[in-house]
Parts: sequence; structure tokens; C-alpha cells
Amino acid sequence: MDFRWQDVRLFYVREVRAALRERSIWVNSILIPLLLYPVLLWVMLMALTFAQGQEEKFVSRIAWAGEARPAALERGELADAAKVEWVKSGGEEADRQAILAEQLDLAVFAKPDPAFAGNLRLELIYDAAKERSAKARERLRAAAGEYRGLVLEEQAASRALAPAVWQQVHLQLVNVSTDREKGAFLLGLIAPMVMVIMILMGALYPAIDSTAGERERSTWETTFTTAASKASILTAKYFYVASFGLVAGLLNLAAMAITIPMVLGPLLAAEGEDVAFRIPLASLPLGLLAAALLSLALSALMMILAAFARTFKEGQALLGPVFFVSFLPVMLVSGTDMQLTLGWALVPISNLILMFRDAISGIYNWPAIGLALLAQVAIVALCLFLARQVIRFEDVLTGSYGGNFQRFLKERLLSRRGKQPAKEHGA
Amino acid sequence: MSHDDDPVRVLGLSKTFYDEGRGEVHAARDVSFSCRRGEIFGLLGANGAGKTTTMRMLSTILQPTAGDAFLAGHSVRSEPEQVRRKLGFYSASTALYPRLTARETIEFFARINRYPEEKVKARVDEMIERFSIGPFANARVEKLSSGMKQKVSIARTLVHDPPILIFDEPTVGLDVLNAIGLVDNVKTLRQEGKTVLYSTHIMSEVEKLCDRVAILHGGRVLACDTIEGLRASTGRHYLEDIFVHFVADEGAGARQLLAEQEQRELANLKA
Repeated sequence: MDFRWQDVRLFYVREVRAALRERSIWVNSILIPLLLYPVLLWVMLMALTFAQGQEEKFVSRIAWAGEARPAALERGELADAAKVEWVKSGGEEADRQAILAEQLDLAVFAKPDPAFAGNLRLELIYDAAKERSAKARERLRAAAGEYRGLVLEEQAASRALAPAVWQQVHLQLVNVSTDREKGAFLLGLIAPMVMVIMILMGALYPAIDSTAGERERSTWETTFTTAASKASILTAKYFYVASFGLVAGLLNLAAMAITIPMVLGPLLAAEGEDVAFRIPLASLPLGLLAAALLSLALSALMMILAAFARTFKEGQALLGPVFFVSFLPVMLVSGTDMQLTLGWALVPISNLILMFRDAISGIYNWPAIGLALLAQVAIVALCLFLARQVIRFEDVLTGSYGGNFQRFLKERLLSRRGKQPAKEHGA
Repeated sequence: MSHDDDPVRVLGLSKTFYDEGRGEVHAARDVSFSCRRGEIFGLLGANGAGKTTTMRMLSTILQPTAGDAFLAGHSVRSEPEQVRRKLGFYSASTALYPRLTARETIEFFARINRYPEEKVKARVDEMIERFSIGPFANARVEKLSSGMKQKVSIARTLVHDPPILIFDEPTVGLDVLNAIGLVDNVKTLRQEGKTVLYSTHIMSEVEKLCDRVAILHGGRVLACDTIEGLRASTGRHYLEDIFVHFVADEGAGARQLLAEQEQRELANLKA
């Protein structure tokens, strides 16, 4: 076979040049990975700020019935008192209807506590499906808790006791992790997982474009009647798909590294959490390696399937399951704080996610990292071997299976007819 | 008669494939012919006669089940890349890359088909000049009209100066004027000493263009001669009559042929 790197380069440049002139490839492989985080986080921040502003603005309309309201509540001494408007109760049923009609947010029925004279038992009627009503309940509960504290303080004072005497337990929180470690933990949860999704998205359109797309545009024969060998052409196509997957993954990583500290940092700081988001430079080589190996494996897998499709639509339908299958190992380790072990190093995709996640947190389990890389290289080799086996069949290259991978398996691999001459497309 | 120095020698080419609906299908059976330098050789046959299968085997897209063919001395079986280097392949199913410009397209095919790098630019300019592509050389192919695309297609087929050219049903889908333009271009190639294989089911194209013609039916070559030779051997003047003479039983004529073709198409549909 006349394999020439010069031909690979020519075809690669031709594929990339054409791809960069295709809007859907630009959007999926470059724009979305680059802009997803800034836009998504900005929208999230705006939505949160807006929702908080709305919540803070409104006054809760609360009806009180039964026993008299405690004096502190009556005098408005409690923190959120200004945000409560006491309205007259119309009786339990009328209040219930008013809450449903959104004319009232909460109804409180105060009864004497049969267990202890002088105590109040408060029955709160609210609508959990409505934001205003839920907020009114929250405010009343806070007010009741605050009131309880005031009463306790008064009781203690009347007995000449300092609050420290009845406090019994005082909690003091000491977080041993640094702001940077907290940031690394949060980044580790998000970044590797989303990188896999972006690599899949980045490689999807090029994989279909370079196979089914060529058939749909009738350029497949044009390509295969050039003097380049099939091996050179397919290698160029493979590098094209893998490089777009890799670029999408890396652009996404860069976007995350820039955007998350700018948006999520201040958001968490407002909640009292100081977090420093920074991807350690030492983790980048491993991240790059993980992205490259993932791109190579997923691109090979996608191209094997897309090679059966005759149209872009068939290609999309065939590649849908790849997304699902590739996402299972991601789900296995997402949201957990497990680390890369020798066992996990053998699970494809999960191993690279854990490896990169650990690296972001500054954890390097070298034996497991070595095994994970070896396992992933083996997966890439297996995918390439499968691709080679599939393109051996002339009828796969000529698109004879009508976009049907199962038909290929049935006719070629499971049936004795597989040994018979190839069916020719358009004969 | 085949000579060892003929640019195209086809020796007993066969292609069989398996189809779920139809079982074994013999698309080409023991096809043999040869083409001389500076000759336009026609393959004439109805749909499903085996023209495209034969052309695809010659252009190495398909591997023959049996037999071999030698183009410029290279075997289609064992030296496919060398064959393709000496070959320009043009068919209705070989479209252009829509997102490249006309110039980029011609340049790409010059380089990928190994035209000497130092001469590529001059050769591309020559092709652009020859086919009057200049006004739209920098426009993307997807924006071009079908006539413009056809010019670029011929330019990309010829840019690496191949000694052998295959035109597989090249006028399918072209309007009358573009079809005439294409036929004129093919005539010019003969004057340049190229060997041209031209497959078609349009009799007038064969009469205008071809020095010799092979009549294909059911995957077999039924006759191979000059048009004058065919007239002499059949005693008929019109090519349609000559064609029917070879492919149909006496008396049944074209009607039987049509019925056979419809049966084949129905079988394809069921498959």
C-alpha cells in the first residue's frame, strides 16, 4: 500500500479548510465550546440576581388567627419584620382559598400548647408550589426562631443567667482546606466531565462530514479516485476528526479556566465562601494527554459508525448511541469524590476523568496514571483495529448497507455469506 | 486485438456480488477489450449493462472478482495507486468539493495526483485559461452554476496530465449546451493523444465521438469494433438498430429489452 504523509497532509488541509467554511462545524466545534461557559454562567448569574432581587422586594402578606401575636412580633422588633404585612384572618377556609387565589401568602393559627401552659402551637397554612407563599413561611419560621431566642434570653435574664450558661453547645467551624483547594475540588467536579461532552460535540460533525457528508455530496468517489492510497485518505480524515474533537475540548477548558473564576468566584463569595479557582499548571500536561487520547478513541469510534451512513441524517442517527455509551463512564464518577485507583484505571473514559480531576486537586497516583494511560492507548488501538477491519470490506466504502450498522453485522459478521463477494453499490 | 503496449488492456474482468433479494449478481462477466493511444473508446449499454461496474473496476474503486486490467502498464489489482496516477476519472457521481474555490480545487487535484510541485501553479493557470474559469476562479464551487462546475470538473480531471481518461456517463444531468461543450472537450483530448474511455447509453454521442465501441449487455461484451465495422457485420445503418441486433433475440426487438430492463429494476426495488 502506497502510504504517503504528503498525501495525508494534503487531504488534512483540504478537510480542515472546507470544515472551517461550514457554519455548523464552526458552531459545534469552536463557538459552543468557547462561549458555552461565559454565556451559561452569565445567564445563571443574571437569573440568580434577578430572582434574589424579586424575592427581597416583595412583602409577605400573613394572616394571624387564634391566640394573640407575641409582643415582639407585634412591635416589629424582629429582623424581617418590615417585610411582613399582617392582615386580618377570614377564618381557616377563607384563608385557604385566599392563599390558593394568591391574595394571601400565609395563614397562621395560634393555639395554646396542651403540653405546656403559656406556649403557643402555630399551624402554618401555605402553598409550597408558590414562591411568595414559600418565602412567607420561611420568614415566619425565622421570626418564630428569633422570637424563641428572645424569650429564652428574657427568661435567663430574669434568673440572672448569662446566655453562655444555657447555650450548652457552641459550634465553631474550622475549614482546613485553602481557598485554592476548595476551588480545585469544585473545578475537578465540573471540568473533566464537560470536557468529554465537548470532545464528543467537537468531533461529531467532522466525523459525519468526512464520511456520510462526502457520500451525500457525491464527492466520495472523487476522493477515492485520486492517486492517494485509501490508508492515506482515511488517516487524514481521522486526524481531521480527532483534531476538531481535541480543539473543542481544549477551547472549552480554556473558557472554563477564564470564566469560572470571574463569575462563580464572586457568586460564592457573596454566600460567604471564599474560593480561588485556578487550574494548576502542573495538571495541564495530563489534561492535554487525557483530551488527546479521548479525542483519538471517540473519533475512531464515531468514524467507524458514520462510515455506514449515506446521508448526514443517517450519520446523526448512527452516532446518537455513541453519546449515550460514552456518557455512562462519565456518570459513574461524576458527583463523587473518588480518586483514581488501579481498578478505576482500567475503566475507559472514567480513568481519564479521574486522572485529570486528581491532577487539578494536586493528587498524582503515578502507578494508576500509568495504567490509565496504557489502558486508554489500548482502547485507541482497538478502535483503530476495528476501523481497519471494517474498511477492509469494499461494500462499506461504497455505502451498500443503507446506513444500517446492524445489517452489516448480520450480513458480514454473523452470516456465512460474509465470505461471499461484496455487494456493490449502484451496480 | 490486444497489444502489450496499448494504454488500456482489459483481460477477462468479472464482478460478482451478493444481494439479499437477488442472490448472486454478475455485474460484469469476462469483459475484455483494449484501447489505443489517441483513441476514444466507447462502452455502450442500457442501464444495468455493467458499464459503471467496469469503469469502477478500471478506476480501482472496486476490486474485480476475476480477471485483471492494465492501465499504462499497471495492474488495477496490484498497483491501484499507480493506476490512479495515470488516470483522470470523470463521472456524474464524482462531484466537486463544494466548500473549496475553483482554483483551490484544481490545485488540490494537481498536487494529490503528484503533478511536479514546481509546475503546479503554471499548470493550474493553464487549466483556468483553457476552460475560461478565470472570472469565477476564486468563487466557491457551491456557488457556481452547473456549466461552471462542469468546466472545473474537467479541469480537475486533466490537471495532472493523465494519459488515460475515463468518462462514465458524463452528460447525465447536463443541459443540451453543456453536454455539447463536454463532448467538444472530449474530442480535443483525442487530438492531444489521450486515450479516452467513454461510457454512455446515448447513441448520438457514440456516433459523434467514438473511434471504436464495445456493446455491453448483461455484464458481457457482445461486440467490439468501429462503427463502420459494426455496420458491415450487421448490415444495419443506425446505431440503435445495431444495438438492438446484438442485445435482443431476432423478432423480439427493443420491446423485449425494455421488459427485461423493467424486470431488473423491479428486482432492485424489491431488494
